[in-house]
Amino acid sequence: MIENSKNRTYTRREVLRMAGMSAAVLALSACAAPATPAPEAAPKKPAPSKEKVHLRIQMDPDYEKPVGDLFLKSHPEAEIEYVSVTGIDHEEVASKILSMVAAGQILDLGYAATEATQLYAGQGLAEPLDEWVKRDADELKEYFADVHPSLVEAMMWEGSLYELPFDFNAANLYFNTKLVAEAGFEHPPQDWTKDDFYKLAKAITKKGSGGETEVFGYGWTNRLWGSWMPWIFVNGSNLLVEERAPGGEWLWETFYKDDPAAKGRSGGWRWTAPKANDPANVEALEFMVQLYKEGITPAVEMGGGETLSGFFGTGKLGMIPAGGFWVGHLKNAGMKRGDYDVQLFPKWKTQRHQFGTAGLWIFTKSKNKDLAWEYSKLRVSKEAMAIHGWYNGTTLTTPVRRSMLNEERFAETGPEHWQVFYDTLDKHPDTAPIPAPPVSNPMTTLFTSYTAKAMSLEMTPKEALDAMQKELEDLFARYPDMYKRET
Amino acid sequence: MQAATPMRGSSGWQFSPIAWLAEDTLAGIARRRALLGYLFVLPTVLGILIFTAGPVVVSLGLSFFKWNVFQPAEYVGFVNYRRLFNDLRVFISFVNTLKFVLLAVALQIAVSLSIALAVSQRMATWLRYYFRTAFFLPLLMSGAATGVVLGYMLHREFGVVNYYLGLLGIPRIPWLNSSNWVLYTMVLAYVWQNMGFTLVLFIGGLNNIPPEILDAADVDGATGWRRLWHVILPLLSPTMLFALVTGIIGGLQIFDIPYVMTRGGPGDASRTAVMVMYESAFKNMEVGYGSSVAVILFILIMLVTAMQFWLSKRWVFYQ
Repeated sequence: MIENSKNRTYTRREVLRMAGMSAAVLALSACAAPATPAPEAAPKKPAPSKEKVHLRIQMDPDYEKPVGDLFLKSHPEAEIEYVSVTGIDHEEVASKILSMVAAGQILDLGYAATEATQLYAGQGLAEPLDEWVKRDADELKEYFADVHPSLVEAMMWEGSLYELPFDFNAANLYFNTKLVAEAGFEHPPQDWTKDDFYKLAKAITKKGSGGETEVFGYGWTNRLWGSWMPWIFVNGSNLLVEERAPGGEWLWETFYKDDPAAKGRSGGWRWTAPKANDPANVEALEFMVQLYKEGITPAVEMGGGETLSGFFGTGKLGMIPAGGFWVGHLKNAGMKRGDYDVQLFPKWKTQRHQFGTAGLWIFTKSKNKDLAWEYSKLRVSKEAMAIHGWYNGTTLTTPVRRSMLNEERFAETGPEHWQVFYDTLDKHPDTAPIPAPPVSNPMTTLFTSYTAKAMSLEMTPKEALDAMQKELEDLFARYPDMYKRET
Repeated sequence: MQAATPMRGSSGWQFSPIAWLAEDTLAGIARRRALLGYLFVLPTVLGILIFTAGPVVVSLGLSFFKWNVFQPAEYVGFVNYRRLFNDLRVFISFVNTLKFVLLAVALQIAVSLSIALAVSQRMATWLRYYFRTAFFLPLLMSGAATGVVLGYMLHREFGVVNYYLGLLGIPRIPWLNSSNWVLYTMVLAYVWQNMGFTLVLFIGGLNNIPPEILDAADVDGATGWRRLWHVILPLLSPTMLFALVTGIIGGLQIFDIPYVMTRGGPGDASRTAVMVMYESAFKNMEVGYGSSVAVILFILIMLVTAMQFWLSKRWVFYQ
């Protein structure tokens, strides 16, 4: 021990603590900036005459950059940072975005598909576009005239518009034309039925000597979009109770006044309660299980369908639900025009189809909202859509602009009946977005989880959907204020 | 150098820590060496406090709140824990995790010990290096990449594994599509990827066994199984303990391979505790609930690890 004049004693531990603190203080002092400028300090750099406005956009620069460069020509004050967020499916991308936001990372513009549109809007993360749209209505008239109103309605939440959609994918049926021909069938008509589908799927299916299927008639992946959801829709049902929010008249009056397809449009969709175990849903899932038991459908797996696209391309799979995005997938898999074709989903009780659409949304915490809006507007312009990497050359997703879906686009790649993509909307105006309320992320987990239990034959469809319903009810009960109700 | 002792200043005796440290005595040298030691461990201590202890404390605090990050947190007491103990999915995920750990660690240790013993036999040096490298390489791959590739290979209908099994007359195995199979598939994938680490440990442990002890065992007639059981394994027991502790902790935290391969399915058959924690906190934005899962998992890991060390007194032999 060491003793000082005031008889204060210091233990070895205390001394070492002081030493440590002294070292830390010294180290910090060395790192810290001087409180007052040193006499020999370098002269201050002159401030830049005009500071660049930094715009952070959640997009892959490989595809987005042509549009970004176009934007910078008209907005030299801006600089763009592309933030590429990838995931197996949309809900995973949404999880990453939410995590980024939670960690304090703010973007100016995010990309959201239907799966996440209400999720962001419902959390107050997304900025309504109404005022900008009203202000620039004249500029946007051409865009809205080229876009089906159902796609726009899907981007609304509680009366406000949150995104200008630029791509969409309706669940259609893709055929391997060679397998269809080998089965002795021709391209089905648009009004074909579920029974026609079953006959075709069965005819395509080929089994080996051991009874194992070698070529499957129909395959699908376990996710929210696509999946077996189209069968729920054509069977006249939905996973959730559908309602429509009031509001939005300003938009329909301004842009779609004379469009009959806009009649009855609303301020956006509300999915207010689960109805997973609706008899029509049970029937649809039973049909899927039947196809699996008969060896027509392979074991169902999670994901975006990349595995199945390979098998489709190599003649091991006859039919699969997909949207226009598959044109690019199949081209990359080596398929050419004539190797495959597309048709609407068959009629069951109805022929109502489902789609998902996507666009850019502005973060409420963005400091550059006006500039972000200018970018959003440019992104859906004809000029920008023409040069964007998703549509320029290979069609990697379906553009929302009707005028962009033409013979020229599909001349080289096919499909021959490319008109089906927009016919899904034009000829079936009751076609609607996949159910994706603000709680779509946990809902999707439950949907895929119980779907897998039924498809692996561990539960009957009825048992699986009863259990799904119960968990969905619990989930919805935890979020009673999901939608702002009008009083 | 002048010895630094308490000095009398204008206001009486004053203590100078620098002089105290710089004291040119044996005690001074010891103090300087001790200080150096403390400075060396300081970054690690800070790292543990900031990146390990800090999050644990914060998670514990958050587990008593309902918080979705965007709205202010609301104190809810033990609500998250009550929900957790009534949540069948959470229960299943913990059971899956424990089953996984039991199988994966046992298999990993058995296989890597066998391989370590095999590659420690007399053989050409290049062959020995070849085997060591080959078994270690999978460890360098990310779990996600392993999951994707194995997912393709183990596809029930189109996977290459079932194709070759088919040539042997074995019917297609639903590696990833059946609750009865999926956990075993995860164990195989995990062991395949992580075996290299345990293998290196065991090779190191075997090399550290003094050759004179083995020679003595030979002289005493202990060969083959008896030599392994009564000589090698006891001498390898400290390495075994380390492999067990790290293996069990790593296994309890399994996430990437099942998440990429099955996302927890079919149903919840391959859902693990960390997956539930991730889904709750970052997918469903129920941060408080996710934190409560994390706290329970933390306690479980602590208990299992403490138990291992307690039990190790009975079977670990230190030379």
